Amino acid sequence: MATDRDPIVAAHGVSFRYAGSDANALESVDLAIARGEFLAFVGQNGAGKTTLAKLFNGLLTPTTGDVVVDGSSTHKVGIDFLSKIVGYCYQNPDHQIFSNTVREEVAFGLKHHGVPAAAAAESVTEALRLVGLEHQADRYPFLLGRGERQKLAVASILALGPPVLVIDEPTTGLDLGGTRSIMRLLRQLNESGRTVIIITHDMNVVAEYAPRTVVISKGRVIRDGSTRDVLTNEAALREAFLRPPQITRVALRLHERCGFPAGILTVDEFLTAYRSRAANTTTRAAARPASRGQG
Amino acid sequence: MPVGYSIYQERDSVLHQRIDPRTKFALLVTSFVLALAYNHPAVLGLLTATVIGAAWWSRLDFRRFLPILLAAGWFLVLGILVWPFYIQVGPPLFFIFGSAITITGLLFGLAMGLRVSLMVAAAGVWMMTTSPQKMTLGLVRMGLPQKAGIAMSTAIRLVPLLNAKRATIVEAQRARGLRLDTGNPLARARKSVSVLGPLLLSAIDLAQAIAIAMDARGFGARAERTSLVQIELTRLDRIILAACGMAIVASVVLRLLGIGVIVQGYL
Amino acid sequence: MASEPSAGDVIAVEGLTFRYPVGKEDVLAGIDLRVRNGEFLGITGSSGAGKSTLCLCLRGLIPHSLGGQMKGAVTVAGRRTTEVSPAQLGESVGLVFQDPEAQIIGLSVEEDLAFGPENYAWPRDRIRERIREVLAMVRLEGLETRETYSLSGGQKQRVAIAAALMMLPQVLILDEPTSELDPIGKEEVFATIRRLKEERDITIVMVEHAVEQLAQFADRIIVMDKGHIVAEDPPRALFRNVELFHHLDGERVPQVAEVLFALERDGLLQPDQFTPLEDEAVRVLAAGLEGRHGY
Repeated sequence: MATDRDPIVAAHGVSFRYAGSDANALESVDLAIARGEFLAFVGQNGAGKTTLAKLFNGLLTPTTGDVVVDGSSTHKVGIDFLSKIVGYCYQNPDHQIFSNTVREEVAFGLKHHGVPAAAAAESVTEALRLVGLEHQADRYPFLLGRGERQKLAVASILALGPPVLVIDEPTTGLDLGGTRSIMRLLRQLNESGRTVIIITHDMNVVAEYAPRTVVISKGRVIRDGSTRDVLTNEAALREAFLRPPQITRVALRLHERCGFPAGILTVDEFLTAYRSRAANTTTRAAARPASRGQG
Repeated sequence: MPVGYSIYQERDSVLHQRIDPRTKFALLVTSFVLALAYNHPAVLGLLTATVIGAAWWSRLDFRRFLPILLAAGWFLVLGILVWPFYIQVGPPLFFIFGSAITITGLLFGLAMGLRVSLMVAAAGVWMMTTSPQKMTLGLVRMGLPQKAGIAMSTAIRLVPLLNAKRATIVEAQRARGLRLDTGNPLARARKSVSVLGPLLLSAIDLAQAIAIAMDARGFGARAERTSLVQIELTRLDRIILAACGMAIVASVVLRLLGIGVIVQGYL
Repeated sequence: MASEPSAGDVIAVEGLTFRYPVGKEDVLAGIDLRVRNGEFLGITGSSGAGKSTLCLCLRGLIPHSLGGQMKGAVTVAGRRTTEVSPAQLGESVGLVFQDPEAQIIGLSVEEDLAFGPENYAWPRDRIRERIREVLAMVRLEGLETRETYSLSGGQKQRVAIAAALMMLPQVLILDEPTSELDPIGKEEVFATIRRLKEERDITIVMVEHAVEQLAQFADRIIVMDKGHIVAEDPPRALFRNVELFHHLDGERVPQVAEVLFALERDGLLQPDQFTPLEDEAVRVLAAGLEGRHGY
């Protein structure tokens, strides 16, 4: 019997090999995700991020090892069961949108799960309200902007009511405004109790929104921890061909040169740290004016 | 295994490299004419063996050629099973469901099977030994309009791309609860709209984008294009082309004389 | 806002407005722009600002290939785009699109690279020689016979750049060439562009969201919003205008620029110490912490 203390999704010694391939796409992955977490999978294309996420909703099952979702092994329960627990939102919304109205698009999954019409209509309205598309319900989906289509894709997954959301590259193709809008939505969905997993390359998004980061490289989890620890370990990121956000890099270089705090993730954190440092320096400089004259 | 553009296999063989795509096309046409000119299993069997021999000689990967052989074999079996019920010439060998099965009937069935097998195998060898580039260029040189040639090679280029898109779309819809393999045929057809819709739209998008990309690279700038790939009819090609011509004439003459034909009155 | 016309201009845009055939609004609403020979011009701005449309105008594909209503004059490499066909302009201007999949035409790398010069009836030997040259420029030596389908995203985009360079264009236009790529692919493309810039005999116009890279490469950057050019300056001056970017939802300044500008307002740094470049910023910030002013 699963309890709320158990992880909602866990991988135990998971390896996976695609049929016809001669190498493992994933190699001995161990991972536990608690209810209500917000985490990011980062790594290059082909590193195995998406494969791992597909093991969570039963699109794939492990070659060896076990994935346990809400207390059930994915070897034993099918995608019908799993897709109600782990909602998987694909990278490009245009790979799933086909209906004539926004409302029908969101109702698609419910219809296939055999949800009665009245209950389905209610879930659709609620999902559209959550993503802020309630006033667009009768529009033609392809007349929405890219950012709105991304939200529509999220709504069509939300309607099924999954406690876990996996969003593959939520910000690709969006500008800063679109990125903020979709990421704030995901944060809000997380704050209302859902577990959110994003798959992304955008380290600025990771730094700002995901408290936990899992780095995947060549099919292995090479780092898993708080985003602050992971993003300030430049060497480990380099192994996965990733770089921390610019402000984190600058703080790390200043740390090496003059002992500036290393664990900086945002501009605001940097400014706070710098101002307090500068105040100390000024005080010291004032106390010992002759010691630092050469410049 | 990644899906490639075509079943072409690059090899350093005479058939791959030394023979012009137009000559290979002539060989293909000749094999079709010969297949239709004769209905004697001995002649057709010899021709089929020659084509399979050519595949072996060109060092084609047997595993990749196997599906073509299997298709050919299927037509062979089908021919032997069906035709004897229609061709009842000569003394009956035995009866099935009251139908007299004769030696000639069986041989004619064998011939009809071999006829299709020969064409399938020849087309297979042609496609596996001629790169899409050379095939297109050959067709253009034989009078296919330039634009049709480019359209042909662009279509080939889109095959693996659209295949990958289709797989992604199916997965995205499965993640939303779609079950393509359940329900009655009508329900299934209705469900397939959720895959074909996005696929069609992205194919149209892609085609438009590629058309603009072609304009950006000066498509149609000059009346005559040059081509990086060089094809040229050599002495060897001319000898083969002459042989093809003679084989076609000879087969028609022989056919009119009734040689190489096991049953009269059938193609 | 455009600078004074001069003989060294390779691009001159005057009063350009454009509306797509099905559109209700002008996508470009009065653009004036001049680009000097050999200049690297960056273009940034939110989605729907008209950046891609401007690229299509500069390449002459608007109005010839796409229709729509165009007003104003676009002169590139001495020719009015309305008076010559896109094919005629193709020997002076190359264009690289955003999506690597949607611009590769050939089945093999060499077939793809040959497509342009074949259209201009170049002799075979010259095409072969040029293929070798451009593959060296984008660091893909020896990949002539590779199937384009089997290349990585970054390799495909470098093939697209190579294809645009085949005709020895005076002007190379790149429309968000890295936005569909993973971090390795982005880095490969930026490295290629860095080398092109060093060679310096080509004018480059690049639309890009990665402002940190743009700050490094560009001689001048224009910011577009709703069909207008709202700012136009060298990176150092442009990114100091942090407040402008706060009003624009679509784009941000490099993180170091934001930090330096805030510290300048605090009185901790001098205005002449401002820089949008990472290495310089580290020097300035370190000097500030060590109680020195200046470099």
